[in-house]
Amino acid sequence: MKLFAENIDGIMVISSLPKVLDASNAMEFKESISRIIEQSSQAVFDMSAVQFIDSAGCGSLITTLRRIKETGGTLKLCDVRKQVRSVLELVRMHKIIDIYNTREEALRSFSVEP
Amino acid sequence: MSNKAENHYKKTTEIFPNDEKTPATILVVDDSRVVRTYLQSHLQKEGYQVIEAKDGKEAIELLSDDIGIILLDLWMPEMDGMSCLRYIRENFPDIPTIMITVSNEVSNAVEAMKYGAFDYVTKPFNPSELLALVQQAIRTRIQAKRLRRVEAELIKSREHEITTASRIQQTLLLGGRPKNLKGMKIGDLTIASKKIDGDFYDFFMINDTCLDVIVGDVMGKGIPAALMGAAAKQHFMGALFRMARISEAEEFPSPEEIVSEVHEEMIGRMNELETFFTLCYARFDSSRKLVSYVDCGHMRTIHYHSDTSTCTLLQGVDMPLGFPGQKGFRQILAPFTDGDLFFFYSDGLTEAKNPKCEFYGEKRLTDFVQGHAFLEPQDLCRAVWKDIVEFSQTESFSDDFTCVAVKIEMPEPEERYNQEWKLEVPSDLGELGRVRSLIRDMCKGLGSNLVDDERIKMIQIVATEIMTNIIKHAYQGKPGETIAIEGKTSRDEIVLFFYDWGIEFDFASAPKPIFDGSREDGFGLHIIAHTADYVRYSRDSSGKNCACVTFFLQRRG
Repeated sequence: MKLFAENIDGIMVISSLPKVLDASNAMEFKESISRIIEQSSQAVFDMSAVQFIDSAGCGSLITTLRRIKETGGTLKLCDVRKQVRSVLELVRMHKIIDIYNTREEALRSFSVEP
Repeated sequence: MSNKAENHYKKTTEIFPNDEKTPATILVVDDSRVVRTYLQSHLQKEGYQVIEAKDGKEAIELLSDDIGIILLDLWMPEMDGMSCLRYIRENFPDIPTIMITVSNEVSNAVEAMKYGAFDYVTKPFNPSELLALVQQAIRTRIQAKRLRRVEAELIKSREHEITTASRIQQTLLLGGRPKNLKGMKIGDLTIASKKIDGDFYDFFMINDTCLDVIVGDVMGKGIPAALMGAAAKQHFMGALFRMARISEAEEFPSPEEIVSEVHEEMIGRMNELETFFTLCYARFDSSRKLVSYVDCGHMRTIHYHSDTSTCTLLQGVDMPLGFPGQKGFRQILAPFTDGDLFFFYSDGLTEAKNPKCEFYGEKRLTDFVQGHAFLEPQDLCRAVWKDIVEFSQTESFSDDFTCVAVKIEMPEPEERYNQEWKLEVPSDLGELGRVRSLIRDMCKGLGSNLVDDERIKMIQIVATEIMTNIIKHAYQGKPGETIAIEGKTSRDEIVLFFYDWGIEFDFASAPKPIFDGSREDGFGLHIIAHTADYVRYSRDSSGKNCACVTFFLQRRG
């Protein structure tokens, strides 16, 4: 899986996420993403491309969140489609990951925080 | 061996008939070698076996149940007599301990007796006084041993009695689940706290569409409570038959009439015995889709409503049977729909405590039943038990554990569907996408006014989760096995069947979801249960597993 990351003021923004994030590619996604997040501890996943997510996909996001937190960093999501969002909410991930409507809002939130 | 010693040996073996083949052993603890040698030679001459320790520390290492009595010096360098005595009292309370002290420090020896010393002797020793004391202590020790043995035998015989009674109870007192019920399925589970209990239940088939369920809990535990439960059950059976005969031409007697009749019959004797029992008598009429029940102070029955996925609690207004002054019983009606579930239980479930002494409680039980109502009734009973065991961190509860689940089945789907659709796919995660797109096509065929894109996505996610579970768990990741999928649609609902021939799905052992971010798995079942309107797992005798999910297209009210 090829993922591209932009570095915006030290924050890693990943927007080339796959259309589907399910049990068939969750493992691959975890591996690909771990290489990227090694470079920066602050990350934003632009979820606009993701049309479908299942429990394994949610699991891979949780694993990523945990790894980033271990290095003292933060993971935020933005631009989450309605159906994807309802799955995230079903497994209560909105309580452990900050979700923003737009990429700008997500980026701005980093500068607001101390 | 001297004559005297031989006599003593005989005496000792007589008194210790089972386990004493050797003379009584005396542990002498004193830091003075002179005192030890004196006591040893003196006591050995009397036929006792003597072992020695020079201080408290050494004495503790030598302690065992084989020691008859202990002679213990109060003043010693390494661990004094008082500390040593405390240790002995805690760990070997049956071994009499005689303190040794010098004559001007008797007050300390008296203090030691407050802590449980048997007696004391003063130095210099008076040989006959010492011997008399030793003999007396040994007699005490023998009696204590005998008492323990009798106690153990008593416990054993009582256990045997209870095991027998428990077997009788299991076979006679607890009602057998009726089979081949039309439109209903029953699950039950009972675990007695002291192997035998006062919980009882029974089922009566009134006719093809009517089933009576009786669940009761007699005050108290053990054999008396079980006998009372048996008596109650017998009275109900008797009342049912008698009243049925009388009213042959008319309608069958109602639950309130039956409960009143039994109460009349039993109240006199129950007042004499100062006992009572709580009861719920419920009649399920599947043709009228109505349950009529009399509740006499029993735990509130949980009614799970399949159309709204919520629970209500059934509560009556009557006092437990056996309470004086009870006149007439009131019957309450509650309607139900296909897919509903009723969960009856004893207070042993809600009053199970965790190590922090918190109750499992009605709320937790109701939530659990609501979240697991899709299970087959028997599996639900087991899952509840497992959850309570996990909560209380023990498998032995202080109270009886009894539950009965009655599930109103969904009518067989075959007759209702106008479209059917079948597919076989290999057990490969790469097939998930294809299955999703086929499901989308099937849904689109129904028209967007019946099922919108959002709903389709939710059906797809349930299918994805079920497929993943089959591939990962039933087939353990083995590729090339078959998963058969069937879809049936009508204007009212979409039903999907997923068949596999892998390992049986054990819901109770599946991990529960943890939402705090510490776990990345265990969400699949949660998503299925909260997305589909109706879920059912089953396995037939040929080893074919089936997960069946229903999605209502129009909310039924």
